[in-house]
Amino acid sequence: MESLLDAGSIPAASIAIFLRSMKKFIKPSTFFIIILALSPLLTALAVGIRTSDHEGFTRIVFEADRSFTYAVQKRPGQMQLRLSSRADFRGRTWAVQDSPLLERVIHEIQGNESIFTVFFKGDATVKKNFVLEKPFRVVFDLEKSEKPAAPLPSAPEIPEKKPDPPQENPPAPAKPKPIETICIDPGHGGEDLGAIGKSKLQEKNVTLQIGHKLKKLIESRTGLRVIMTRDKDSEVSLNTRASIANNQLAQMFISIHANSSFRKSAYGSETFFVSLQATDQESLELAQKENQNLEDPGETIKNDELKMILWNMAQTEYIRESSKLAEYVQNELNELLGTRNRGVKQAPFRVLMRTAMPAILIETAFISNNNEEKKLKNEEFLDKIAFAIYNGVSKFIYYYNNILK
Amino acid sequence: MTKKSRMVLLISLAVFIVMLLAVLLFRKKTVKFEPELLNKAGVSGATFTEFIKVKLFYFSETSIYLQPVYREIEVPEIKEELYKKFIALLLSGDSGHITPVPEAVQLRSVYYLESKEMLVLDFNDLLSSAFPGGTSAELEFIYFMVDNLCYNFREIKKVKFLIGGNESKTLAGHIDLEKPFYPNFEWLKSE
Repeated sequence: MESLLDAGSIPAASIAIFLRSMKKFIKPSTFFIIILALSPLLTALAVGIRTSDHEGFTRIVFEADRSFTYAVQKRPGQMQLRLSSRADFRGRTWAVQDSPLLERVIHEIQGNESIFTVFFKGDATVKKNFVLEKPFRVVFDLEKSEKPAAPLPSAPEIPEKKPDPPQENPPAPAKPKPIETICIDPGHGGEDLGAIGKSKLQEKNVTLQIGHKLKKLIESRTGLRVIMTRDKDSEVSLNTRASIANNQLAQMFISIHANSSFRKSAYGSETFFVSLQATDQESLELAQKENQNLEDPGETIKNDELKMILWNMAQTEYIRESSKLAEYVQNELNELLGTRNRGVKQAPFRVLMRTAMPAILIETAFISNNNEEKKLKNEEFLDKIAFAIYNGVSKFIYYYNNILK
Repeated sequence: MTKKSRMVLLISLAVFIVMLLAVLLFRKKTVKFEPELLNKAGVSGATFTEFIKVKLFYFSETSIYLQPVYREIEVPEIKEELYKKFIALLLSGDSGHITPVPEAVQLRSVYYLESKEMLVLDFNDLLSSAFPGGTSAELEFIYFMVDNLCYNFREIKKVKFLIGGNESKTLAGHIDLEKPFYPNFEWLKSE
């Protein structure tokens, strides 16, 4: 990688002189061996992943061309392998085919760290983790978990429910309900115009039009309940949008936007789900620490702060589902719109972070691109967008209700 | 090969590896220029001015990745002043490239928090009010600033943005601006 190999300050000339003088003593083949031995120091870590299914467990192996230090973080439904150096891994997302416990692996680079997030199918848990040498391998054996899922964090704006009366026999852990309510979030509105095209087309109007079309499609074709964060030209804060979805117990959140770039030639559609930044991880660790402190009756000062942290982390538990939803929707947009596929991406969206449900943000097309602005003025194009999103959503509903559970 | 020559070979090899590792680990990214460059800068006598060579990355219409441009800047005594100079140079742009920052946006101040290895950038209100909107534009601005700073100054591990001296929720309604950003050098890779 360029950033690691900024070799401008290496005294290349002195190394060359040294090597020339060493030629008297060393054969050319030995030179080759030395260079070969040193080459791993100069390149990014080459990482390969393989999986295999065995009786009672599934194995996932991270194999590298040299040893590395790592840390593992486990959460319900996923684990993260953080490498202390940057890894060269082809592709950001790798879908694991035909595995009973593994769904996908996402690779991200943060600073000089590489993070591999492994998403499990259902309630899998890490049974064993060990390291093997020659070549260097980090091995995880996964098995199906017996434990019920951890409780979800709630938003501060959700009114607190009174606890259920005590029961003689505690109920079995409840399975998540099939999808009944979907929240559509048309981006911007009111004085917040969003991005504006060259011919003055406003993003807030485009998103509202698509939102209405999508609502109509979902209601008429599935009979599900659809709520909207705004159904007219009004300004709604990002926090309120997330609260509306959380309070109405929506099980899917779809934020609709039109994109804009400083590069006027940029075009195409892309779908985002939230990214877990390193600072989010710090917040989560702080929240867990504070959670322990709250068991001490004397420690109540940071309760509000904790609630806020947990609210900010609300999306963490749903990243796997959000990623799947984004993938379904983006595939349909590619197929129906014929625009450039910019793919599924991750970014720390404020509105998505605080939703406690699978949540995505769709950038339908670039309002800053003259051609795409014209398209966004066309009713038929907006119909196509709504239909593509509906198709993706309906595929996700089937996946969520029948496969995921 | 005799035992003695094998020993010489092994010792030489070990010295070479140690030297190379030392160079890789302790190399400085600042480049001091030779007297002719100092003369060009009008420096004479016992006063020495240090310059660093920086690699600025800009967008272009033909690539989705940031493109490198090389520049030199004089190193002031105070670290924050160096960051200010660097950012001023960055914001001044480069012909043929795109600077993803609205015109008239200015940096109000810079703070480096050593304990957090974090640089705090405080821009004037125009950053928000003149921002064109759009997720891509927000990400372009954020990673243009963060990647350029973290690439050129290894002591900066993350960057936090303030607008008009205050924390801002977002730039234009999308990306959470209250948390600091780590670099994403994926934006710098060549196509």
